[in-house]
Amino acid sequence: MLSNVKTKPVDVRTKTRADRILDVRNLRVSYQTGGGQVRAVNDVSFFLRPSERLGLVGESGSGKTTMALSLMRLLQSPAVIEGGQVLLDGVDLLSLSEEEMRRARLADIALIPQGAMNSLNPMLKVGEQLRDAVTAHMDSGGKTSREARIFDVLESVELSRNVVNAYPHELSGGMKQRVCIAMGILLKPKVIIADEPTSALDVVVQRQVMETLGRVQSELGASIILVGHDMGLMAQFVDRVGVMYGGKLVEVSPVREIFKDPLHPYTQLLIGSLPTLESKENFKGISGMTPSLLTPPTGCMFHPRCPQVLPHCQVEIPPLVEIKPDRWVACHLYNGS
Amino acid sequence: MQLLEAQSVTKVFGSGVLSKDRLVAVDEVSLTINEEKPSIISIAGESGSGKTTLARLLLGMIQPSDGNIRFRGKDLATMDRSERREFRRQVQAIFQDPFEVYNPFYRIDQVLTTPVRKFKLAGSKEEEQRLIEESLQLAGLRPNETLGRYPHQLSGGQRQRIMVARALLLNPRVILADEPVSMVDASLRATILESLMKLKRDLGISLIYITHDLTTAYQISKDIYILYRGSVAEVGSVEQVIKDPQHPYTKLLVNSIPLPDPDIRWGSQNDVDQAPLTSGLKSAHGHGCKFANRCPFVMAECHEKQPPLYRTHEDRAVACFLYKNEPSVGGREMAESLAA
Repeated sequence: MLSNVKTKPVDVRTKTRADRILDVRNLRVSYQTGGGQVRAVNDVSFFLRPSERLGLVGESGSGKTTMALSLMRLLQSPAVIEGGQVLLDGVDLLSLSEEEMRRARLADIALIPQGAMNSLNPMLKVGEQLRDAVTAHMDSGGKTSREARIFDVLESVELSRNVVNAYPHELSGGMKQRVCIAMGILLKPKVIIADEPTSALDVVVQRQVMETLGRVQSELGASIILVGHDMGLMAQFVDRVGVMYGGKLVEVSPVREIFKDPLHPYTQLLIGSLPTLESKENFKGISGMTPSLLTPPTGCMFHPRCPQVLPHCQVEIPPLVEIKPDRWVACHLYNGS
Repeated sequence: MQLLEAQSVTKVFGSGVLSKDRLVAVDEVSLTINEEKPSIISIAGESGSGKTTLARLLLGMIQPSDGNIRFRGKDLATMDRSERREFRRQVQAIFQDPFEVYNPFYRIDQVLTTPVRKFKLAGSKEEEQRLIEESLQLAGLRPNETLGRYPHQLSGGQRQRIMVARALLLNPRVILADEPVSMVDASLRATILESLMKLKRDLGISLIYITHDLTTAYQISKDIYILYRGSVAEVGSVEQVIKDPQHPYTKLLVNSIPLPDPDIRWGSQNDVDQAPLTSGLKSAHGHGCKFANRCPFVMAECHEKQPPLYRTHEDRAVACFLYKNEPSVGGREMAESLAA
């Protein structure tokens, strides 16, 4: 009935606060499988401040990539977004039509996908792929202004103009990753989601690519969500870290606090398991297995592996609450405070 | 006696001395494992450093272009059938991807019964079962939670530990592990590394750990070889090489580790903060130090000839002219000295 409305009016209750460029509320995503329904993202709420760098960490199967894709509405069947809101500057992306969402992608919210360097089309020159992306979104402005924008972004990711004439296989991994960053920022999005952008790169190149990404993001004034499992990369790059476990967000804290004083027992074990150059032969793994999402445990997802488990952890799902300024945790240990 | 040795091995891919496709993947590398002194040695380097080629040479999967690989003093190239069989049993490998090595249609058991039958390790079904259960336990797995299952029913960490169990079945003296934890989640990584360390401590099995991750290399190994484009740039005890790197390339690598501590900033570890990247794997001319065109301390002689290893410390040697006042040492001599 309201299908002709370009952007949905936002009522008072869902109005975002000015300090939140992205506000994700009660997002639920599930996969319909032969064995039953798998809830990969389970009632997740978090927000992103303007110009902020937020890290989303979790092990494989924790739901972090599903979450990244659902923010972009790029999930495909059998994945279904069951509910929740993704408010970008006050507009709920989940309520947009397909066409409106297509326009929002890249222009407002951009994704640098996992293994991005393999997402380039091997048959097309880099320039053509960048041109495709601009043409699909920039209606106004002539060919010259589009070309100018392409050269601009290549310069900002420290690539020479010549790469427009190169095929992807002629570039090194680091250069391909830079092309993907260039594509992500072509239309100056407000939010960039980078899913493990450097996981296939060597450490030296990784650092250079991350520094480029960081610089480009500050120049644009965009916010960034860095999805990954490398806590070292998070420590070096982000302002705040959100920890996912079994489809749930279990803690969100500023990066210094999460390394110095992790709150959730899972975060504590995760930080404790990281190898450092401080001491040798220091192996503290987390015993037990990641939960099966087909038959998830009752109550808190982490209770079967938790060394500090309380009786009602098996029964009641702890909500994510702000127990101290800017420190959010979903754990019954902090219920009293 | 030396158990496994690489004696100045070189591997060239492509043909013709002046061919443009010629690639020296491993360039006169020596490495030694002493039978009496089991040890954990790391081989570290980035992609293109030749670490996987070196691993394949050590396993006898490819032949060196020059130099040789010796097992208990015997050159692999001149081994007869039964010697080669013994070598294949004593030197085991664990690879990076714990997903690819399994056939999804077979139960896990098949990966374990095959080596038992191939090497005729068990006289009866019961003995086979006992051997398999023992090795699973050594790898930190509970047999009743793993046997009878299909690969997809196990986690990546469990699958990788089954590869450890498979290697253990053969009661090897050396395990060569090529990036065994790079595809495993952080919380499981520690557990797998710990089980590899235990093998050395409890069973006296030596480990060659091939990795790009200097942090885990520091955690588990005694000595480390840093490879750069096929050559040893720096070699020595991890305490020396990682905590106080001397070769400009090692400094660059150590400085690029994203440490899980927001207070230690990237690039603040030493004086090699950043180095330009070069394209391609081949240097403009065949001689000279391979790192010269990226090195912030480059000198005229670096372009003229390849630096030999200079022994800057009893436990360390560096292939860099910055240390030319120190005595030079042969790669083999250094490797044997570290293994002794």
